[in-house]
Amino acid sequence: MILLQSPSRFILQILQNRVRNLDKGIDLDCHSVEFDDVRYHIQVSMKSPQSIVLSMALPAPPPEAIFYAGLPFGAIEAIKAAFGAIVQILDPPKDGYNLTMKINLGKLPSDEEQKQALLIKIASVREVVLGAPLRVVLKHLSSKTVASDADGPIALVHRPKESFFLVPQAEKVTVVFPMRFQDSVDIVLATSFLREFVEARRAPGLNNAPPCVWSPSPPPELKGVPPHALTANAGFVKFVIFPRHVEGRKLDRTVWSLSTFHAYVSYHVKCSEAFMHTRMRRRVESLIQALDRAKPESEKSKLLQGKSFKRLSVKDKLSNSNS
Amino acid sequence: MDAASRPAVVIDNGTGYTKMGFAGNVEPCFIIPTVVAVNESFLNQSRSTSKGNWIAQHSAGVMADLDFFIGEEALSRSRSSSTYNLSYPIHHGQVENWDAMERFWQQCIFNYMRCDPEDHYFLLTESPLTAPENREYTGEIMFETFNVPGLYIAVQPVLALAAGYTTSKCEMTGVVVDVGDGGTHVVPVVDGYVIGSGIKSVPIGGKDVTHFIQQLLKERGEHIPPEDSFEVARKAKEMYCYTCSDIVKEYNKHDKEPAKYIKQWTGIKPKTGAPYSCDIGYERFLGPEVFFHPEIYSSEYTTPLPVVIDKCIQSSPIDTRRALYKNIVLSGGSTMFKDFHRRLQRDIKKIVDARILASDARLGGEAKSQPVEVNVVSHPIQRFAVWFGGSVLASTSEFYAACHTKAEYEEHGASICRTNPVFKGMY
Ligand SMILES: Nc1ncnc2c1ncn2[C@@H]1O[C@H](COP(=O)(O)OP(=O)(O)O)[C@@H](O)[C@H]1O
Ligand SMILES: [Mg+2]
Repeated sequence: MILLQSPSRFILQILQNRVRNLDKGIDLDCHSVEFDDVRYHIQVSMKSPQSIVLSMALPAPPPEAIFYAGLPFGAIEAIKAAFGAIVQILDPPKDGYNLTMKINLGKLPSDEEQKQALLIKIASVREVVLGAPLRVVLKHLSSKTVASDADGPIALVHRPKESFFLVPQAEKVTVVFPMRFQDSVDIVLATSFLREFVEARRAPGLNNAPPCVWSPSPPPELKGVPPHALTANAGFVKFVIFPRHVEGRKLDRTVWSLSTFHAYVSYHVKCSEAFMHTRMRRRVESLIQALDRAKPESEKSKLLQGKSFKRLSVKDKLSNSNS
Repeated sequence: MDAASRPAVVIDNGTGYTKMGFAGNVEPCFIIPTVVAVNESFLNQSRSTSKGNWIAQHSAGVMADLDFFIGEEALSRSRSSSTYNLSYPIHHGQVENWDAMERFWQQCIFNYMRCDPEDHYFLLTESPLTAPENREYTGEIMFETFNVPGLYIAVQPVLALAAGYTTSKCEMTGVVVDVGDGGTHVVPVVDGYVIGSGIKSVPIGGKDVTHFIQQLLKERGEHIPPEDSFEVARKAKEMYCYTCSDIVKEYNKHDKEPAKYIKQWTGIKPKTGAPYSCDIGYERFLGPEVFFHPEIYSSEYTTPLPVVIDKCIQSSPIDTRRALYKNIVLSGGSTMFKDFHRRLQRDIKKIVDARILASDARLGGEAKSQPVEVNVVSHPIQRFAVWFGGSVLASTSEFYAACHTKAEYEEHGASICRTNPVFKGMY
């Protein structure tokens, strides 16, 4: 429940709405912004009710993370593999966006279950595009090979001007996240959350989860990474991914969890803040009730009559408590 | 990127439904019931099993705090399992349960809008009768829990007026008739400021119309599974109800040509899965009639809505009355009944004309009064006019300057949230 889902509700809702009313033409032009500055723009025109034009903008990459023609490595192939003939990539993309694709709803499979699955896949376009390079590396891992040109850590963008790093080897892939937060309270909460997270990983039931380490300074694997990319105010988290974590259907989950790890921590920090506020409010309420019970009877009735403004003098109080 | 260069998040928390989306869009991204389902079984378990084990109790509390749903999901969870308790954080336009409200916002932001609250300015709405303390609470939650960079809390009817903004010039003087789920407010606004003393409330809203229809269907002996009947009544209301001009004539029309006027509702029984159907007949026009003849529904409240609107304008400053009659703006889901605005306009005009006639007669025909123009404005985005007004305002450049910022909050404290300036973008 507290995990972020891969498909965007916003896109999915529009897709499902359109599919239900395919014969009814509408004009639609709306936009949405997700965490880490992923932006969507959706257009439907009266003239062609069967098609939807979906544009997506990605977080601006820092210098160490490389985009090819405005997209992460392997994104085009990933889009083609995931959506097939139903999607056509428009070149060049709409101004201000990294990717524009035309979705032809007329070509959806007629089988209801397959149709829904494909719509959910399209709504997960973020995972398909941003997760593409990670997927390529992890696929190599599952076949126990290393992409030939890998030399030093690979930087992948996950937040505006911020990247995380992969160190691929034949039998494992090390993933390192420099953790950065804006607010001072968030930094403290995130740091303690991450330490607990690493602790919790040691619990007996989680033996199969990827090993994970938190450290205040960059781990040795990041040697050779430019120093500006290694500033972090909430430390570094390192995961080691083994082939068993990317077998079959696990691959998708691992790609999504890793590429949204920062958002996951940030969401947890906000939940803890809400949780603490709830506790604080309950405490204040119970204190007020306790104080209320402690009041002398006569004062309570005065309050009820709305005469609380008159200050009682010491003499009044004494006579009250004596009577 | 600076937060002011991203679209603001606009959330209109209504008693019944929350409308949320990004500024600059024409429609909210999501409209969901304002309800939270909380799993309280963790708490009860730990209380009964352990006496002194506070760690178990603590973690049970943590689990209860994490295990909750909002909106339609909350409703379906509570239907399918008894471990979830529903909590409606807003009553009559006022937040009553702040814990539930904070959870609700948390899910709206992270799970529905999926945005990082630190990245966006926020525009929230409140009813005109909200106490300043409540605004402080809202500010506290937004700035401290969610770290929003800037916040503007707007008054709902003012936004509904601003919804007319797109059509050439925006008229910020008018009466807003907001008919929501839980009740109705008639609010006079002059130059963007609410005249607090003139606000009139009517304890009848969309939920009452639904109850009334549910009751009528039951009395007529339609066979609808009881656990479904409220939802059926609501959907039938939203799809088929309309406002008539005269009840007696409308009864005759239905009796003469039932085939033309009676609609069929078909559903599936939730328990057995068997299909069933029922007729929606007189209910179609009797439902909305509740606003014009409240006595058919309630014996306690009997003032028709047109009379309330007229009283509201008559109690406003004399030099504003003509402008108010000229711009009566509808807002809220329950003004969506077909021809609602026509009926309202006709009935108010009748009252006004009768008054002028009477006063002319008193003066003995020496001076004739100027006729008063009565105009009930209706537009297609009426269902979420408040949200739309917010979307329009929050996409003007003045909006960001009118917001309270996180820095101001940290410097001066929550009391800054008590007021937000009316800004130029509103004119
Ligand atoms: N098309 C429609 N026709 C009639 N009633 C409608 C329609 N759409 C929504 N409603 C009703 O409007 C009410 C919700 O209105 P809304 O303004 O969102 O309420 P609030 O702001 O008080 O939560 C509900 O009772 C709903 O059934
Ligand atoms: Mg409302």
